[in-house]
Amino acid sequence: MSGNSNMKFLYAGILIALVLSALAPFLASPNPDGLESAAGGVIEESRMSELEEMEPAVNSPMTDYAIEGMGKGGEVAAIAIGTFAVLAISFGFGKVFNKRA
Amino acid sequence: MHIPDSFIPLDQAIVYWVIAIPFIFMSMKWAKNELDEMKVPILAALAAGIFAIQAMNIPIGMGTSGHMVGATLVAIVFGSPWAGVLVLTLVLLVQGFGFADGGITVLGANILNMGVISGFVGYYTFVTLRRSLSTNIAAFGGAWLGLFVSAVACSIQMSIAGIFPLVPGLMAMGTYHLIIGFIGEGLITSIAISAIAKSRPDLLEDSLTSGAERFDMEAIA
Repeated sequence: MSGNSNMKFLYAGILIALVLSALAPFLASPNPDGLESAAGGVIEESRMSELEEMEPAVNSPMTDYAIEGMGKGGEVAAIAIGTFAVLAISFGFGKVFNKRA
Repeated sequence: MHIPDSFIPLDQAIVYWVIAIPFIFMSMKWAKNELDEMKVPILAALAAGIFAIQAMNIPIGMGTSGHMVGATLVAIVFGSPWAGVLVLTLVLLVQGFGFADGGITVLGANILNMGVISGFVGYYTFVTLRRSLSTNIAAFGGAWLGLFVSAVACSIQMSIAGIFPLVPGLMAMGTYHLIIGFIGEGLITSIAISAIAKSRPDLLEDSLTSGAERFDMEAIA
């Protein structure tokens, strides 16, 4: 019984995550986050643009939760893909570390 | 609060990895001992929800936004801060490699701040507050403080890295994250815990009952 209700919890979690994925590209604030905003306030402008131009160590396929040329729909898809990636990794991890019953 | 690669020099980034790795290792040990087939769907649901809610930046004024981190929520649900470390490690890996949200060389620092510091401070603040306050208020307070302290830690790392001057950096990071922590972390954690307490009170049993009470409940059952 508990297993069944845990699956219900999972479906509810997935539903909430997908609703958030669909809404975030439209509702999320485009303003910089706390760290970026603090950086903008305390770092000199020339240094800041230097930092911003530096390449990240690894190039990500969907930088900033967007898919090139797909606009808002692409953003929804990107967050949804990420959600399923997190789900898959969590399950994979659970399988590997599963305590033997 | 996701630090990009350019903000921390490689040698310092390695130091944060060295500090973070034992915590990541312990969180896997926790999973090995505590996670069973029944609990994996709960962990996966929380991880997915936290990934998605981290894309939902909430405006906090001053041209700034912020989002939930979620380590405290996971820690409260599983009754262990190691669960928070584990989930945030998984989420940050996907964000870093898939979406350039947070760097890769600095992933150790991000796991340390958002998984370890926020999860441990949040969870043990919750446990302490809960002795005298309601679950919802304790969850709110723990989540709020957990996020705030991790922002302070992040700010200190930025000043060691020579990116932020110490005091102005602390003032800016502290101010923004007091607000982000209140709305984005405290309120949402409290609402989520109260929703889980209503729909699945059994899930919270471990974290909400002390050893003695739990023994009594088992005796009754």
